[in-house]
Amino acid sequence: MGRPVKAETVVLWLCVALVAVAGLVPIAAIAVESFRYNGHFSLNYYRELISAARFWPLLGNSIRLAMATTAVCGLIGVPAGILFAKSDLPLRSGFMWLLTVPFVLPPYFVALGWTRVVARIGQGASDLLFGFGGCVLVLSSVFLPITMLLTFASSSNVDRRLEEAARLVSGWPGVLRRVTLPLSAPGIAFSLVLVFLLAMGELSVPSFLRYPVLPVLSFTQFTASYNFGAATAAAVPLAAIAFIGVLVESVFLRDRDYRFRSTGQTLSISLQHWKSLSAVVIATLCFALVILPLSALFADAFSLAAMHEAMQRAGASVVRSVMYSAVAATILMALGFLLGDVMLSRPREQRIVNLLTLALFAIPGTVLSIGLVRLWNTPSTWFIYATPALLILGYTAQYCAVTTRLSLAGLMLIPISLDEAGRLNGAMWARRLFRISIPLSARTLVCAWLAAYILCLRDVPIALMTAPPGADPLSARILTLMANGAPPMIASLCLIMAIASLIPLAILTRVIPSRGMAR
Amino acid sequence: MSYIDVDRVSKSFGTRVAINQLSLHIEKSERLVLFGPSGCGKTTVLRLLAGLEFPEQGSIRIDGRIVANAGKNLVPPEKRDLGMVFQDLALWPHMTVQQNLMFGLNARRVQKREAEARVREMLQRVGLEHRIDAKPHQLSGGEQQRVALARALVSRPSILLMDEPLSSLDDERKRAIAFDLLDLHSQFRFTLIYVTHDQTETDLLASRVCRMRDVQPAA
Repeated sequence: MGRPVKAETVVLWLCVALVAVAGLVPIAAIAVESFRYNGHFSLNYYRELISAARFWPLLGNSIRLAMATTAVCGLIGVPAGILFAKSDLPLRSGFMWLLTVPFVLPPYFVALGWTRVVARIGQGASDLLFGFGGCVLVLSSVFLPITMLLTFASSSNVDRRLEEAARLVSGWPGVLRRVTLPLSAPGIAFSLVLVFLLAMGELSVPSFLRYPVLPVLSFTQFTASYNFGAATAAAVPLAAIAFIGVLVESVFLRDRDYRFRSTGQTLSISLQHWKSLSAVVIATLCFALVILPLSALFADAFSLAAMHEAMQRAGASVVRSVMYSAVAATILMALGFLLGDVMLSRPREQRIVNLLTLALFAIPGTVLSIGLVRLWNTPSTWFIYATPALLILGYTAQYCAVTTRLSLAGLMLIPISLDEAGRLNGAMWARRLFRISIPLSARTLVCAWLAAYILCLRDVPIALMTAPPGADPLSARILTLMANGAPPMIASLCLIMAIASLIPLAILTRVIPSRGMAR
Repeated sequence: MSYIDVDRVSKSFGTRVAINQLSLHIEKSERLVLFGPSGCGKTTVLRLLAGLEFPEQGSIRIDGRIVANAGKNLVPPEKRDLGMVFQDLALWPHMTVQQNLMFGLNARRVQKREAEARVREMLQRVGLEHRIDAKPHQLSGGEQQRVALARALVSRPSILLMDEPLSSLDDERKRAIAFDLLDLHSQFRFTLIYVTHDQTETDLLASRVCRMRDVQPAA
């Protein structure tokens, strides 16, 4: 008689199967599609793509944009993250959440805000905004929170004893350079890889600011020409870069994964006479990257007529956006928590699932969407293709990494002995899950749900390409209305969208515990 | 005036009073053991001396210089000429044994050649010269203790603070390291302030014992 299969093993593989169906199978489908021409195996699409005059410049532009964005995010985000985590900077919590705002909004909001700013300045500024420089500015504002928050989290988790031991023989610059930064390096490297991949796959900002990049080519092949083969051939290099990036990051982390005992406190650098200057620099940054573009964007939003028109033209999209995001967030929260719980004691599976979900997170939304449409657009699967289910599947694949990692991080804080005590008392896995893990993880679950909700709500490419006709979410609706809608109405819609995103962010700031500081 | 003077120092963490009006006088090269139950403020005394915490009231003077006074640390930790062995050792996991020992010497701008010689000499003293390129997780518990001790002493501090560093070892290893420590003390003549709640360690190491109860010391 064979060994009985454990419930947690079944759950693990069911969850992995769901992620695979939602993300991996569509990617595989487009990879296969790109090698078929007139029903036969062929490299024709790739030959056409590579020989096309615009492919290499577009690829070069994408890499240039991603590298410049990553460099700016690294140069600003790492010092800012360290400053927020390790110093007595006044109002640091407020500054940090303010800098996070652009990330929770659709990326083109900041671009739209800057167009309003330059419209008031004049043609010269407009020339600077539309093109490479403008794209770097906007994408850096949008992705800066990734570097900043991950640096904050990594450096806050460095065991304070290690820093104290260094502090006995060295000043703060030496401690940061030799202890804090090397120990935070995996988190920082991860954030930089993530920024690079997200910038590489970004669609809405480069197309709005008229900077030609590879995702735009893939998108236009798909929407304008409806040429699946050419669109997938253009998408495959992006998918390959995402997989390689995630693989490199994973190998880098494998050798440098330091686990610390959480002391619940972090050391604080006294800035002394640098305090005012640092506060001014950070406040200027907040003004330039967040307040200026967003206030310019929302300036026209407060008229009653504009609000009325906005609700008339997109009121249903608002409701749909909130509904789709809430449903997807609930699925993502449950999926992430189940995967996290089951993987806690299985390091090998944990590595595989982390790699899989992270690759799906890093893959451009345009690529994933093309795959989803290709896979489900058949008569027998119309019930998925023609309904919001396709959109929900896309969200699930793209953002599963976030809820899984958040859940895992939260579950690791629960002493393993609590689960072991349950096991010794005869409780099976499901009982332990519902009676021990879930009640002790309320905060983790709320954080995971809110993070997933925000990410789904702000998503553009999946919303744009997989929503059923006439049932698009707000982020896609605004983008399509931008071509011919009146600016005040667009501003009102952006404001509504921002409120829908910022309320959960405000809740998140209350749910995430503030860290104790020690001098 | 003693070498170290702690004068009516108080320290609280939130509503919990860790130390209340503590006064303590320690002579140069003395081996003082702070002995007492958990939670009586022994570790806080070490952290105040190291400059990792600041006293809310009272002052601390080391070698005639006021290093902390009434809510302020006047001399930062790295300028107090002391070494410390933490309870959990706090060896930097990303550095080798040699790099762990070199860190302090580099920070104090000791010439590279001299620094390397001092690291080798110190590792020889604690019997770990063959583990110079190992990382902390590749060492046994006893070896880690010796590296932590070597790291604290390699920059030849005048004061060595030790926070229950042997609590996780068995009696045999505890004795071996305690005898090593006495040897090193007789060679370098540092002032040793040792925190423990273990009577055996106290008997082995103390030239004077300060018994702490609740928040008040009874020397």
